[in-house]
Amino acid sequence: MFETFYPQLIGLCTGALLLTSALMVWRHSLLASIRLLALQGVALAALVAVIGIAEGESELVLVSLLILSVKGIGLPWVLAHQSKASIKQIQESPRLNPTAALLAVTLLTILSYVVVSRVFGLGDTTTGHAAPIGLAMVLIGFLLLISRRRARSQLIGFLLLDNGIATIAFLTSGGVPILLEFAVSLDVLLVVLILHVFAGRMRTKFGGTAVDQLRELHD
Amino acid sequence: MTGIGAGLLLQLGLGALAVVSALAGAPSLRSRAGGILCTLIAVTGFLTGLAALLGATGGLLIPIALPMDPLLLAPDRLGGLFMLIVSGVGILVSLYAMSSTRGPDASRTAWAAMPVFLVGMQLVPAATDSVSFLLAWEIMTLGSTVLLLADHASRATVASAGIWYSAMSQLSFFFILAGFAVLAAASNGTSFTNLQAIEPGSGPANVAFVLFLLGFGGKAELVPLHVWVPRVLPEAPSHVSAAMSGAMVKIGVYGGLLVCVRLLPDGPAWWAIAIMLVGGASALYGILQASVSSDLKVLLAYSTTENMGLVFLGLGASMLLRGYDATAAADAALVAALLLAVSHAAFKSTLFLGAGAIIHATGERNLDRLGGLGARMPVTASAFGIASLGAAAIPITSGFVAEWMLLQSLIHGGRLDGAVVSVAASVAMPLAVAVIALTAGLALLTFVKAYGIAFLARPRSVEAADAREVPPLMQLALALGALSVLALGLLPGPIAALVANTISSNPTVAVQSVGLGGVSLPGIGAVLDPIILVALSALVAIPVIVSIIVSARRHPHRTIDLPWGGGGSRARPRMQYTATSYAEPLVRVFDDVLKPSRDVQVTHVAESRYLVEHVRVEQRVSDVIETRLYRPVLNLFQRYGIVVRHVANGSIHRYLSYSFVALLIVLIVVSL
Repeated sequence: MFETFYPQLIGLCTGALLLTSALMVWRHSLLASIRLLALQGVALAALVAVIGIAEGESELVLVSLLILSVKGIGLPWVLAHQSKASIKQIQESPRLNPTAALLAVTLLTILSYVVVSRVFGLGDTTTGHAAPIGLAMVLIGFLLLISRRRARSQLIGFLLLDNGIATIAFLTSGGVPILLEFAVSLDVLLVVLILHVFAGRMRTKFGGTAVDQLRELHD
Repeated sequence: MTGIGAGLLLQLGLGALAVVSALAGAPSLRSRAGGILCTLIAVTGFLTGLAALLGATGGLLIPIALPMDPLLLAPDRLGGLFMLIVSGVGILVSLYAMSSTRGPDASRTAWAAMPVFLVGMQLVPAATDSVSFLLAWEIMTLGSTVLLLADHASRATVASAGIWYSAMSQLSFFFILAGFAVLAAASNGTSFTNLQAIEPGSGPANVAFVLFLLGFGGKAELVPLHVWVPRVLPEAPSHVSAAMSGAMVKIGVYGGLLVCVRLLPDGPAWWAIAIMLVGGASALYGILQASVSSDLKVLLAYSTTENMGLVFLGLGASMLLRGYDATAAADAALVAALLLAVSHAAFKSTLFLGAGAIIHATGERNLDRLGGLGARMPVTASAFGIASLGAAAIPITSGFVAEWMLLQSLIHGGRLDGAVVSVAASVAMPLAVAVIALTAGLALLTFVKAYGIAFLARPRSVEAADAREVPPLMQLALALGALSVLALGLLPGPIAALVANTISSNPTVAVQSVGLGGVSLPGIGAVLDPIILVALSALVAIPVIVSIIVSARRHPHRTIDLPWGGGGSRARPRMQYTATSYAEPLVRVFDDVLKPSRDVQVTHVAESRYLVEHVRVEQRVSDVIETRLYRPVLNLFQRYGIVVRHVANGSIHRYLSYSFVALLIVLIVVSL
């Protein structure tokens, strides 16, 4: 029963990951991006759980719970941790218009499929076929990093990039050891906390977090 | 642990203590404590160097985890000699700085950098592997840069000098690093014993030689890498200039000797000719610039270039002669080069300290505004005078002995048992003699000017007229420096024999001590005995002087009041020769090389164009090498820098985009 659904479940999860990534590029509101990030965390956790059940590894199920708690709940909560009223007003004015951005996402996705199939080969497994999604997420995260002006929107790009790396790891080799995953997750959480505090300080100090207005440092 | 190891360790400990005391000590005690600790460091270094020079072995082994030979500080005889030079200058400078520093020169940073500089200079000649050599080299450069920048806040020229110095030091360091890298790659080791295994004429050795010549030549102020000298030495506090010119520059010489005598001895003839060319050009160019300079410290700085040029000329001549088996002359030339380095350390540090005393007393280093200091500052005047004699290579001073020995070896070196050794040598040696003769003449002119204009005649400014003698401790340092110049000149024999030990296993063939401290060159057949010389001239001079005094006593002194002065009685200080006017004929003769720029402004009286109210003459001699060679290169870099500024404009998005594009390109390339 599960065997027949397995490829479809994997496809569903990775599709959700790619869709949320593309939507993050499309949406400009910070709150929407954070919600999409939470959704992506849940999708990633689901992906890990599916792989864990299919491979019969109880450890991976534990990891999926960890991912759910950190990436699905913890990080988005930290990011959204201020009054909903003020966060709703934060609108990003990106350096790339939505059409161009979505076009770029398409091209990056195609590129990652080409790269993975040419360099590593897609393999026969279901997970191997889905691996390019991880690379696409990394590239899209990078795109977000360079096209967003605000520090916190860039942070979301950074987290997307991190999710992409985790996706590749789980799809190609059944995940990194649990201890490593735990440590990396905590590290990312720490980085986000620090950057969050930092962005808050920037806002109170300079009245905004648009990174390209902070040009005083270059001389 | 051996004595040398203990000495080096003690120096490191004292250095750390001096840094801590400078950083934590009270401002009122800083100069005193720093001066005492730096003197102790230098004295320890002096004793350690002396032990190494006399043949003591041992050292300090520093194990490291990196995959290369361990760091070993164990000076050999040559290293010991240079430790001795450096620490001797260090003693003078520390004593002097104890009472001369004030204001920013006595700041916490400056006094913390001083021990770092001194210890760094001591460790370079002690190093016996390239890694510790480079490490010590960088410590030395770091210390000197910080010391130079002591006064950067009040004078803009200091900041500019600092940039020139840092850039040129890093260039030197890069060349030396590259040279050692080439050798280390060819020999699979970083210790000097491993590097010695390389054949001197081989490809890597040739590449390394050129790199080392550029690197050490830059530190030893050789043309065309000397451009930092006329900026840095005048702008640094005087005790720092004394340490830089007296000691640090010698480390550059040590580097040259290390390469040509120890690591890659018996190199091909073109090495020797290259060194002779660079040395000769530096000697001539340096002394020409010095002779027309009217800034006392710029004059001394350029004269350093001249002296280092002569040292390298001697080194090159010795290499050339050794290649043709004229061993005695080769050894004599090398000993002469070393003696010149020793004597230069003595007289040039004294001269710089004297210049510092003048600045301390008058705040002025422009010779055209000095004068009449001899009567006002007798101790400074005598010390500066003796050191000037040394710099002009006049008998009974150290400079004379070295130049005499160099000339002897050059004149007699071209022939071996009556036969000409080679065409190259018989062309190069007379040319070298001519270069030395010309530099000696110009040096005499230069130091007559420096001493005469500054200390004799009448004061040319209020500041010079109000000058007072400097504090006793500074006088002590000056007197010690002057005494060392005389001692080196009067007792050349034992010193030359000691120096000869460093370069030859059988030194008595080349140099011997004879008579009362006299020196003899058995291979060449020349003898110099200054004490006998002095005694003989005293024998002639004393009766003459006595008879003059006696005859003067017979006629009573009469005061004569001029009935008509004929213009002479109204002579004002402005009518005296100045440094600029003294050097004017020289500027005229060497007009094509020096390319001076003159500016004459005549102001007429308002009533008549035929009457002149005042005339203002300004003459500037710029460094031709700087304007013709460095400026174009710097302008090129500047233009490149402006273009690059658009590419790297500080926007984080732009930098992220660069890495993103790079990543995409990599991905596309690998998938093609």
